Amino acid sequence: MKFVVLTKAAVPLSTAIRIDPKTGTLVREGVPLSTNQWDRDAVEFALKLRDKYGGEVIAISMAPPSGIPALESLIGMGVDRAILATDRVFAGADTWATSFVLAKTIEKYVPDYTLILAGEETIDSTTAHVGAQVASHLNIPYVYYVYDAEIQGNKVRVRRFLEDEGVDEFYEMDLPALVSVAKGTQMPREISLSRKLNAREKIMQVTNKELELDAECVGLKGSPTFVAAQTGATFPPRKRRIFQGDPREAVRALVEELKKEGLLQP
Amino acid sequence: MTCKLWPQINKEEYKGVWVYLEHDGARLKDVALELLGKARDLAAKRGNAQVGGVLVAGSDEMAQEAIYHGADKVVVVVNPELKVYTPYEYANAVAKVVAKYRPEIFLIGATKRGRELAAFIANTLTTGITADCTALEIDPKTGDLMQIRPTFGGTQMATIKTPHRRPQMASVRPGVFPKPPRDVNRKGEIVHEAVELNARRTTFLGAEKRIEHDIADLPPVESSDVVVAGGRGLGSAEGFKWLVELAKLLNGTVAASLMAVRAGWAPHTRQVGQTGKTIRPKLYIAVGISGAVQHMMGIQESKHIIAINSDPNAPIVQNSDYAIVGDYKQIIPLLIEEIKRAKAPQ
Ligand SMILES: Cc1cc2nc3c(=O)[nH]c(=O)nc-3n(C[C@H](O)[C@H](O)[C@H](O)COP(=O)(O)OP(=O)(O)OC[C@H]3O[C@@H](n4cnc5c(N)ncnc54)[C@H](O)[C@@H]3O)c2cc1C
Ligand SMILES: Nc1ncnc2c1ncn2[C@@H]1O[C@H](COP(=O)(O)O)[C@@H](O)[C@H]1O
Repeated sequence: MKFVVLTKAAVPLSTAIRIDPKTGTLVREGVPLSTNQWDRDAVEFALKLRDKYGGEVIAISMAPPSGIPALESLIGMGVDRAILATDRVFAGADTWATSFVLAKTIEKYVPDYTLILAGEETIDSTTAHVGAQVASHLNIPYVYYVYDAEIQGNKVRVRRFLEDEGVDEFYEMDLPALVSVAKGTQMPREISLSRKLNAREKIMQVTNKELELDAECVGLKGSPTFVAAQTGATFPPRKRRIFQGDPREAVRALVEELKKEGLLQP
Repeated sequence: MTCKLWPQINKEEYKGVWVYLEHDGARLKDVALELLGKARDLAAKRGNAQVGGVLVAGSDEMAQEAIYHGADKVVVVVNPELKVYTPYEYANAVAKVVAKYRPEIFLIGATKRGRELAAFIANTLTTGITADCTALEIDPKTGDLMQIRPTFGGTQMATIKTPHRRPQMASVRPGVFPKPPRDVNRKGEIVHEAVELNARRTTFLGAEKRIEHDIADLPPVESSDVVVAGGRGLGSAEGFKWLVELAKLLNGTVAASLMAVRAGWAPHTRQVGQTGKTIRPKLYIAVGISGAVQHMMGIQESKHIIAINSDPNAPIVQNSDYAIVGDYKQIIPLLIEEIKRAKAPQ
């Protein structure tokens, strides 16, 4: 069985970000990238399935070459091999163009895949689009927010939790299929340094020379959406009235303020 | 030049602002009504274009409610194969309806199910989509939809457009736009469509309501005007009892920081912040919360922020409207007492 995990080498939130003034998109080149935190749940999920059913786990990512260390650490976790789709023409992709490259990479290099696993969302884009879009490009069934799966013949049974409705749901899908793994539901295993030693040999880089995708359909050009403007978020300024000293006085002063603001309607 | 995989379209043929009408089997979800209200605004700016709705496996009563809240036309998909929700089949069915009626704009509520469907529908229609918009406007120059959303953990606001493809699609989280008034005199048309389904690939096997251990029988954090939140500074689950009392007094609810959730004092559904909920209450009271940037991202749009913290140097103290420096065990009971007094009829 072949379990394909989609993992993004994301810009950690602690990084000072740079926006390309021409395209309005995030500059990823020259920025140290690390695996999107929620994709580790998907990787752990895939490793568990492989340990149970046999086969291999293949991580697939679209990123500049600075995404390689992120893939190395996934191999350290136990992923068997990784494919990095990387080419300058892929830069500036929206979720349509990203998922297109990922789907075409899977079709070409892992055509006999069993199940594709995506993270719930990325920390730097938070769209939760790419999983469903890969399923759409490949025309396969999919279910989001999965935390448990069981394979029976050419079908997969999944359990998922819808947080906003507070319900668990159970579905069966024909294989091949795609699931997104609910964030925080797995306990991602440690990275083993010995496994990581020759990780580089297990990472295959493919460019558009190999993928042969129409340059009009990838990257910024192949993106139906584009960023027309980007500005720093501004938040309403705060009053910063600080009450210290005698607690009773402080509370009285605060309640007075709340009354004035009309916040204490009976 | 555009990607040859995208069929040529004539943008002039796409008219109206349509909404996916999610329901729970009994009634339309609030977010669907909120989007109908927004759709009316946008349609007004597009030469009084039509407002439409797509309802899968819903009733004519639900369609009528959509009309009362702003729809001119509602397409009800009546295929018995679609009686129960499955993502792949629903996404395909909705895409077929949208492809037939060709709205210029198509909006989806970003509930968990809505997020699951939205991007697949967009791809099937070979168009783009923007997730979790917090504002939607019409560009006065081009007439294009401006899809405004926070990105990069809320530190940036991006305006995104879909200039060459139609429909222009966006998802919007519940509670972002106000619910429009219900007008029983509004008239509209209800159309039944038996959408043809491709071979079924997903089977629904069952569902179970999860009994989540919650701290109190209080409304969800995203739908309250007053939110009292607790953090690691509470020191124990016991501390939340006081917050519950304060919240009830203010007709509000309780929320928690990530640290309080990790400690097991509150369920994840009550977490606010970057990896929890984004809320916009009138009043947010942070008790024993330091105000880390990831926490602030979820509450920055609160009208008023109050901090109760023993550390005058905690970031929240500098980023609030009113802060009381002190031990919450001393402050909260006094606050409850004083608010009761203030609210008592004179
Ligand atoms: C990727 C990422 C995502 C994150 N997402 C979130 C998120 O969604 N939500 C979130 O909240 N955090 C999030 N965090 C964590 C965040 O960085 C902070 O660690 C967290 O918010 C701290 O929680 P806290 O304020 O409860 O605890 P602390 O930072 O420990 O603060 C406790 C506060 O209580 C005060 N205190 C102590 N005793 C008392 C007392 N007796 N009376 C009054 N005050 C007292 C202290 O002065 C202190 O300010 C995220 C972090 C990362 C890296
Ligand atoms: N560039 C990428 N390469 C590989 N997988 C990705 C990429 N971007 C997104 N994904 C996958 O799609 C999921 C959802 O991402 P997003 O739509 O950005 O929130 C992620 O958790 C990944 O599993």
